[in-house]
Amino acid sequence: MVNNPILSVKNLEVKFKVRDRVLTAIRNISLDFEEHKVVAIVGESGSGKSVFTKTFTGMLDINGEVTQGEIWFEGRNLMDIKDDKGWEEIRGKKIATVFQDPMTSLNPVRTIGYQISEVIMKHQGKSMEEAKKEALELMTKVGIKDPERRYDEYPFQYSGGMRQRIVIAIALACHPKILICDEPTTALDVTIQAQIIRLIKDLAEEYQFTTIYITHDLGVVANVADYVAVMYAGQIIEFGTVDEIFYDSRHPYTWGLLSSLPQLGLKGEELFAIRGTPPSLFEEVKGDAFAPRSNYSMKIDFIKEPPIFDITDTHWAKTWLLDPRAPKVEPPLVIRTLHQRMLDMTKKGGVYGER
Amino acid sequence: MNKGYILKRLLRSAISVLIIMLIVFTLVYTLIPRNSIFSKDDGYRKLASKPDEKTEYMYNIWQKLGYLTFVRSADDFQELYEMGSPEMEEALKPGSKAAEEFKAKYEAQGYTVEKYPKSGRYYAYKDIPIIQHVAVWLSNLIEIDTPWSVKDENNPDLHRGISLGRTESGGLALIGSGTNHKHLIYSDSHFPWLHQNIIKLQFGESYPTYQGLDVMSVLFQSQGAEVKRPVTYATGKEAESGIIFGTETYKAVVDRMDKQKFTDNYASYQVQRDQPSMIGTSFIIGFFAMILSYLIGLPVGLLMARRKDKLADKLGMIYIIFIIAVPSLAYIYLFRYLATAAFDLPSVFTTYGAKDIRSWILPTISLALPSIAGLMLWTRRFVVDQMSQDYVKFAKAKGLSQKEIFNRHIFKNAFIPTAQGIPASLAACLAGAIITESIYAVGGMGKMLPNAIQQYNNVMIVALAFLFSTISVLSIIAGDIILTKVDPRISLTEKAGRS
Repeated sequence: MVNNPILSVKNLEVKFKVRDRVLTAIRNISLDFEEHKVVAIVGESGSGKSVFTKTFTGMLDINGEVTQGEIWFEGRNLMDIKDDKGWEEIRGKKIATVFQDPMTSLNPVRTIGYQISEVIMKHQGKSMEEAKKEALELMTKVGIKDPERRYDEYPFQYSGGMRQRIVIAIALACHPKILICDEPTTALDVTIQAQIIRLIKDLAEEYQFTTIYITHDLGVVANVADYVAVMYAGQIIEFGTVDEIFYDSRHPYTWGLLSSLPQLGLKGEELFAIRGTPPSLFEEVKGDAFAPRSNYSMKIDFIKEPPIFDITDTHWAKTWLLDPRAPKVEPPLVIRTLHQRMLDMTKKGGVYGER
Repeated sequence: MNKGYILKRLLRSAISVLIIMLIVFTLVYTLIPRNSIFSKDDGYRKLASKPDEKTEYMYNIWQKLGYLTFVRSADDFQELYEMGSPEMEEALKPGSKAAEEFKAKYEAQGYTVEKYPKSGRYYAYKDIPIIQHVAVWLSNLIEIDTPWSVKDENNPDLHRGISLGRTESGGLALIGSGTNHKHLIYSDSHFPWLHQNIIKLQFGESYPTYQGLDVMSVLFQSQGAEVKRPVTYATGKEAESGIIFGTETYKAVVDRMDKQKFTDNYASYQVQRDQPSMIGTSFIIGFFAMILSYLIGLPVGLLMARRKDKLADKLGMIYIIFIIAVPSLAYIYLFRYLATAAFDLPSVFTTYGAKDIRSWILPTISLALPSIAGLMLWTRRFVVDQMSQDYVKFAKAKGLSQKEIFNRHIFKNAFIPTAQGIPASLAACLAGAIITESIYAVGGMGKMLPNAIQQYNNVMIVALAFLFSTISVLSIIAGDIILTKVDPRISLTEKAGRS
C-alpha cells in the first residue's frame, strides 16, 4: 500500500493474560510504515495504540504475548527475536521511544548527563569523554541552554518541558531509524506542547527518522502527521493521509472522533460525545466492534467483520458502509463542514495546533 | 550542606535529650520508693541490728545520689565544740539547748528534723527538687581536667602546670600537674592509639551494684582477669603488672607500695584485662553482625526482587517469615544447637573467652539472623517498587540490559532508604542485644539496662538513658546527612519545599 516501507506489520495479534482470563489487545493488524513519514495513531484509551507500538521494541508487559503475526524491519522479522539480548540491538539503537510523562521517565538520582551518555556508550561503544561531547551536542540540539552546566544536574532541577527535551535527546542519541512518541505532550502544558512538537518535527528532518505518534490530540495530528491510523478495539479501522482522514473520513468511528473535538464543535450546539463504551476485549468481538455504538450500523455489522475497503491508493477503511450493497449515508454535518471551518480557523494566521 | 540547619538540629536534639533526662529523673528519683535502692546492698543489710548507723548510712547514700541534703547535728556543732569532747556530747543529747537550737534553725530553713531511733540525736534533711537535681547532674556531666582540678589541702606545694613528656611505656604525652590525670593526652600501641583525659563524661558512682566504680569505668573498662606483663615503673622498679601507662590519676594518700612504683602522687591506675569492655564487646558483636547482615541481606533481597515469585524469592520469603514468626529465643537456641552440632564451635562465650575467635562466631551470626531477614524484606520491597517505575521502562526502551538497569539505576534508588538507617543500626550495636548475649553468656551491654532497673541502680539507669538517647538522636541526624549524600533531591534546609 505504501512505497518503501521501513517497518511492516503483518497480521499482528497480541494477547494478555489477566487473572486467568485472556484479553486480545491487538486483533489482526497489518500496516506498513513509510520511511521518513510521520504516522499518527489515534484512538481512545484502551484501543491498543501503545500495545501496538510496544511490540516493535519487544516492550510488552510480562503478561503480554504476540500470538500471531510478523513485524518486518530491515529485512528481518522482529518476532524471531526471543530474548532481551536480541532486543537490545533494536531498542534505543534502531527504534527509540519517547514516553508520555517526562517527570518519571528519568531516573531521579542520576545526573542528566549520565543518563544521556549511558546510551551513547552502550550503543556506540564510545568512551566517557566522547560520549559527553556528543551528549552536550545533543543537549544543544534539543534546545538546552548552557549544556555544560546542566550536564551534571539532576532531573528535579529541570522543568517538565526541559525533561521531555532530554528524553528526546536520549531517544535520538543513537540516531534511530524510527522514533515512537507515545503521547509525548500529554503531560505538558499547552505552550510547551507546541514547542516539543516543533522540536520533534525539526529533528525528524535533520536526523531523517520515521516518526510514529500515539496521541489523543487530533490537533497534534493535523499539524504533524503525514498519515493517520485510527484505532478502535485493537484494530486499525481507518487509515489514510491526514487530509483524507480529516476531510474525507469514511468510518463512523472516525466521524465520531472528529465530531468530539471541542475546537471543531458547532457554535450553539451541544458538544458531541460517542455514546456507549468500547467492547470488552476479553470476549471475542463479533462483526464490527463499533456497531453497538454507531448510528449507522446495519444488520451485517453485528454478524460479520467488515473487510478492508480501499478508497484511494493511500486511504482504506473497515466498514460495511463502503460495500457497494450498503445504503448511501451522509456523514454528520459537523464532518461535512469540517474542511471549511478548519480553513476559517487557520486563515487568521498561525498553524493549527500551535495556537 | 547547610551548617545553620545542622546546628539547629543539634540544638533541638540537645533539648529533646534534656526533656528525656527530666522524665527519666522524675521516674527514677520520685516514683521509685527511695527505700528500695537498699534492697540489693549488702552493706546496708549488715547494719540491720544497728538502727542509728543504718539511718545514717541511708541518709548518706541518699545525699550522695542527690535525693536530699543531709545534716547531722554533730556536723553542725563541729565548729563550736571539739569532736568527742564532753561539751559536744552534751550538746548532742536530745533536749539540750544546742540541740533545740539546731532543730529550730534547720526547720526555719525548710528542713525536716528527725531523731536517730536509738540515741535520739537530731539530724535534718531537705529534699532536692527534681529540676535542681537534673541541673546539678548536668553541670557535673562534663568534667574538664585542668591544673587546678586537684584540691588537696595536705599537698599545698603541688606544682600546677602542663608540660610535654613521655609515658612510662614511651608514648608521647601531654603531662599535667595539679590535674586529676597525669597524662592529659598520650599515645600508645592500643586502639585508638591517641588517648585523651582532658574531657570526661562524669555520670557519678555506680550504686548499689559495681560499688565504688564510676559508671563510665563500668561500661568502658576491660573486663576479666588482669593481663600481666613485665613493666618498669618510674622508680625503676620492675614487676609483673597489667598497668596501662597513661591512665594514672591523682591519689591523695600514697602508701608504701605506691611509693615503690611512683615518684609522685599519681599512683592510681587502670589495668589491662583480657576481655573487652561491656560496650566494646557488644559493639564488636553488633558491628560484625551488621556488616554480615548488609553483605547478605542486600544482595539476597535484590536477587529475590529480580526473581520475583520464582523459587529464590519463595525460599527467601520462607526465611523472612520464619524469622518474623518464630520468637528470637527459639531460633537462636535452634541455631546454636545446629551450629554446635555441625562445627567445632563453643555454645557459650566463656568456654574459650574473648581471645579466641571461635567464641565470637555464633553470637555474631545469631545477632545477624533477624537483621538479614529485615534487610532482605526491605531491599526486596524497595527494588520491586523501583522496578515498576517509568524510568525503568524508559531505561529498557533505551536498550539497556536487565543487568545494566539493575546495577546502574534500580539498586542505587532502592538503596537510598536503606542508607538512611545505617547510622541507627551502628548506634544500636552499642546498646547490646540482651537475648543473644544472655544465651551465649557474653558480658555485653544488653543486660545493663534491665539489670540496672532490677537492682535499683539509679545512677546507671540515668547514665544509660542519657547515652542511648544522645547516640540515637545523633544517629538520626547522621542518617539524614547520609541521605543528602546519596539522594541529590534532598538537602537539609530550614525552608520547606524546593531549593
